[in-house]
Amino acid sequence: MESNAGTLETRSNRTASEREEVAALESLQFTDEIHRLMSAPATDNASSFTALLELPAPQAVQLIHSPDSAKLIAAPAPNVEDVKGGFHFPSNGGLIERAARFSVFAGEGNNKSDSPEATSNNSSANLQKAVKSEPAETESSQPLISDPTVENRGIKRKDREKVKGQTKKSKTTAKESSDDAEKLPYVHVRARRGQATDSHSLAERARREKINARMKLLQELVPGCNKISGTALVLDEIINHVQSLQRQVEFLSMRLAAVNPRIDFNFDSVFTAEGVPPQYLKELLIKLYDKRKSSGSLMDSNFSGMVMPMMWPEVQLNSNRQQYPQQLHFDAFQQPVWGREEVCNNYLTPENSLLSYDSSANSGNFLDTLNEST
Amino acid sequence: MMNSPQQVKNPSSSLKSRFITRFLGALTKINAEHPISSSSPTRIFQRYRRIKVASNKSMAYSVRSRRIWSRAMLSRFRSRRSAFSVRRSSVKTTNCTTSPPSALIKVTINENKIAKGGLDMQTDELRELVPGGEAMDVCNLLGETAHYIKCLTTQVQVMRKIVDFYHLSK
Repeated sequence: MESNAGTLETRSNRTASEREEVAALESLQFTDEIHRLMSAPATDNASSFTALLELPAPQAVQLIHSPDSAKLIAAPAPNVEDVKGGFHFPSNGGLIERAARFSVFAGEGNNKSDSPEATSNNSSANLQKAVKSEPAETESSQPLISDPTVENRGIKRKDREKVKGQTKKSKTTAKESSDDAEKLPYVHVRARRGQATDSHSLAERARREKINARMKLLQELVPGCNKISGTALVLDEIINHVQSLQRQVEFLSMRLAAVNPRIDFNFDSVFTAEGVPPQYLKELLIKLYDKRKSSGSLMDSNFSGMVMPMMWPEVQLNSNRQQYPQQLHFDAFQQPVWGREEVCNNYLTPENSLLSYDSSANSGNFLDTLNEST
Repeated sequence: MMNSPQQVKNPSSSLKSRFITRFLGALTKINAEHPISSSSPTRIFQRYRRIKVASNKSMAYSVRSRRIWSRAMLSRFRSRRSAFSVRRSSVKTTNCTTSPPSALIKVTINENKIAKGGLDMQTDELRELVPGGEAMDVCNLLGETAHYIKCLTTQVQVMRKIVDFYHLSK
């Protein structure tokens, strides 16, 4: 085994023109190795076989694909020692990644397995499972070795780079791909590089995973969606729910518009359930009116940061009269419809002001109820 | 000073309390400026529109710019504010009139049902419903929809309580 690895390494230094021959040769050698290993007991040799499998494959591919040859030559070399020393297959992340990238034997994997989409990404997860099932797959891999190498030569660099990019995304698709990996050990990793379309399907799969996750979240949000199966129906349900919520908002605002607007909030009790002290709330509302003095974003003001310990009635009298004609977004939607003069007029009537602090218990614990059902 | 910490965070920083604060402020303002002296339908309708806009605005401002839909809604309000100017943002919806969105949705829904099939129909419908949905891909659209539903639920909840309160205090 070691000699074989050695010869492979030396061959990696040849030029591209010779690489085809070398690859063919190597594949033949590889088959010999496989034969040898088949006779040996399976369990213990699983690790060693994968080591063997691992080394030749990336190196074989390496010869075909020149730009990465430099990296690849470096990477597998230290693995020889690993192989000898009772092989840590999954731990060599770099090698795994590269081996995953160059799925030379994609074709055979597709032939053997039922899922041609063995194009999943996560190399390490797949290969871990791949180790266990590899010996079973070796038989199938033999006759097809030459074919994938031919295919790979024809594959453009673009696809290779695409796969490289997708290996990074692989973590999201790890689970799904590992299911495929059970039948397709190494092959499944190799399959990732099969054809040009596979790289697209990789991206698509990642996308689909994301979408499915969001759909599940939505199903939980919308009541009654858990029982429904099928994306279209669930989406219909979601759409209905959103529409009904929007209609409810409209309906409730209509009711609010029709109701007598005398809001006599008893602010003392109002926000206690919410934990906002009434004084704080008063300050909030004071600031609400004070901000109108300074034009611009009231809503961007940081309520929590304000410090205005003014007395409530004072503010009511003072601020209500003075500070209204400002450009606020709340004013904004009235502006087109009503002139400013009307806005000013109404503020001069304190009795109209809804900030009238009516200490009667009439208003009750209004906002207690608001926060009861959180 | 938290009397009853129902929320883990500082209550004034939760979405619900922010919305409540803003919306109540808007309501009081509306009621101060346009008291219902006359219960003419026109007045009521005007108030209704204002309250609806105030409610949506309050929610959008409570969410700030953290979400695509809130940003879209805010920019819609701002473009509307500039006196119905012709300035339209290319990405956001330009139907920034006061007409309720449902009318527009029905038209497009019918068209889509006829023209397309599969999930395109539903995703298009969703795009119409969720503000700013046109510019999103499906993945983001679903996420935004989830947050939008949550905010709408809060909105409805708060408004319903306010209405109940009014009825009680009568």
